[in-house]
Amino acid sequence: MRARVIARADVLKIVDLLRPEYEVIAPFRGRGRDTFFDTVTEANRALIQIHVPNPYYPPKRFVLPHIERLLTVRRDEGHLQIEPTYDAPKRAIFGIRSCDVAGIYHLDRFYLGREPRDVYYARRRRNLLLINVVCTDIEQDIDDVCFCMCADTGPAARDHFDLQLMDMGEDFLVVAGSEAGQVLLANPIFKKGTAAHITQRQQILGQVRQRFKNTTSWFSAAVRYITQGSILDKTWEEVGNRCLECGGCTYVCPACTCFTVTDRTTSTGEIERVRLWDGCALSGYTRMAGGFNPRKAVHDRRNRRFFRKLAHYFIQRELAMACMGCGRCAAVCHGDVGMPSVVEMIRRATAELDNPQPESRTATRTESP
Amino acid sequence: MTPSLPTAENPYLPQIAVLDRVKDEIADVKTFHWHFKDPAAQELFQKFRPGQFAQVSVFGAGEFPASLPPSPTEQKVFFTVRQVGSVTTALHRLKPGDEFGVRGPYGNGFPMDDYAGRNLVFVAGGIGLIPLRSCVIYALSHREKYRRIQIFYGSRDPRDLMYLSDLREWEKSAGCECHLTVDRSDDHWQGNVGVVGSLFKKPGVQVPVENTTAFVCGPPVMFRFVIRDLTAMGFRDQDIVSTLERYMKCGIGKCGHCCIGVAYVCIDGPVFTFEQIQRLGEQI
Repeated sequence: MRARVIARADVLKIVDLLRPEYEVIAPFRGRGRDTFFDTVTEANRALIQIHVPNPYYPPKRFVLPHIERLLTVRRDEGHLQIEPTYDAPKRAIFGIRSCDVAGIYHLDRFYLGREPRDVYYARRRRNLLLINVVCTDIEQDIDDVCFCMCADTGPAARDHFDLQLMDMGEDFLVVAGSEAGQVLLANPIFKKGTAAHITQRQQILGQVRQRFKNTTSWFSAAVRYITQGSILDKTWEEVGNRCLECGGCTYVCPACTCFTVTDRTTSTGEIERVRLWDGCALSGYTRMAGGFNPRKAVHDRRNRRFFRKLAHYFIQRELAMACMGCGRCAAVCHGDVGMPSVVEMIRRATAELDNPQPESRTATRTESP
Repeated sequence: MTPSLPTAENPYLPQIAVLDRVKDEIADVKTFHWHFKDPAAQELFQKFRPGQFAQVSVFGAGEFPASLPPSPTEQKVFFTVRQVGSVTTALHRLKPGDEFGVRGPYGNGFPMDDYAGRNLVFVAGGIGLIPLRSCVIYALSHREKYRRIQIFYGSRDPRDLMYLSDLREWEKSAGCECHLTVDRSDDHWQGNVGVVGSLFKKPGVQVPVENTTAFVCGPPVMFRFVIRDLTAMGFRDQDIVSTLERYMKCGIGKCGHCCIGVAYVCIDGPVFTFEQIQRLGEQI
């Protein structure tokens, strides 16, 4: 993997290079803290943000749209015509953060890692190029809720991007992570890097990591206790009591995979089958026709979310926890039961387990959900 | 090489099915006989195993998982469905000749070959007979592979007994013992009255425990009591099998709805031994 550099003034030329072939998505600023990914046009090109708080609405939607049409069904003299609908334009996400790169790789493992592969996801993913920007601006890029270092996804992704840019002041250091990235690097806008650049990269990353020193999420203990099923019911109840069941955590999560499917009729009388993001926090998630709901209690559903994300079985299957440390759930949760808080609650409660009080010894323990 | 269907590329794509006839079973429950429009799809589908299920689409209303009550040995396909939600209601409104969608078969099914040389005890309550019917017919058509076959079936009252013609046939058959019961009798009922577990203690009934697999399917209350009875009789947890139902959207391990613990009911199930069910760790 060879490193190249590009002058600060030229960095948006990467976007220009891609635009003839790709719909280029980049981060922009809204009002206040609001930031968002949007399609780059002639009009907004100059407004692209390199250093910006990571948008809450994750770029996951470019491989798994919030609402995605799967099929259209027409009735023709009583006969059904079923057509699958694929919408997979060539897209490049410029400025995707390392946590979200890891998130997309996690989705790759989930949707494409075993048969049957998800054809809709596969088609979108095949046409997607990821231009990662390393979070180096400790004021803009990194929030107090960020904990990518605990999830081992950042601040600089090690792989699964096509191109990675790192701000070094005068220049950006550019590294290719795929064949498509190598091809891009051959363009003359990229110049040869020097050994000094590599040293500088290490220095910058060392400084950036200091920014995370107050943000800790002790996953290993949580993974162990969740996998063993040794977390007390009262801990889940405490988490459940604070959950407002808004589903926000799942909608902002770059690693959540669940969806629901529904049919709707269009204005032209066709039927569309669409899939939509769904969340295990929501009470209807496991409710069957007739009303029976095996996961009725809110704390059962909270238990479910964290079990799915942290149990060893799934870590082994997807090769990583289903948490990328992006901090979005921590930022949006009204009840403060995002991932870092729950990991902390588990840690505190299990400290009690390890030094048991007489009453907690006899309390019932929850099995895996 | 097996012929490849569009579903091989896109597992979400249903094949068009045509409804042939509808038979009333009991109140709110009907049997829908159908065939695929594409004979190649029919041929592939026909290779399903007892205990597998299919995703049934009534377009505009949605899709739901339905067990496959026929046995692959019967060369016919049908669903038996209770009208309980919006999609099943839409299915109940279809008329012969109407088209709908089917994809599958999905799930692990019962490993019927593994039970060769064993006694089979089927215990069903109410519409729990729907998924077990496939195994009973399959076992009876491979009669030489199994030892004793017993069927214990109960419903709330005589009008709620499913698959009456099959029951009559099984009662007369020399190949199996079929014991029926109802919770509440009516003027015409001359059989046993009581819960399905009461049949195990009926005079003349002897349930083999050694080298026996017990299939249990029915409403949660019935399930709990039958498990208690079987355990008391000496059945080991790994010799009791059942099939679970869950809200499902995809049938292929992606949508997440049917996940219990680490198990996806749609791909790791729906058939689980009682030993596995206990390890899943959620209410079933």
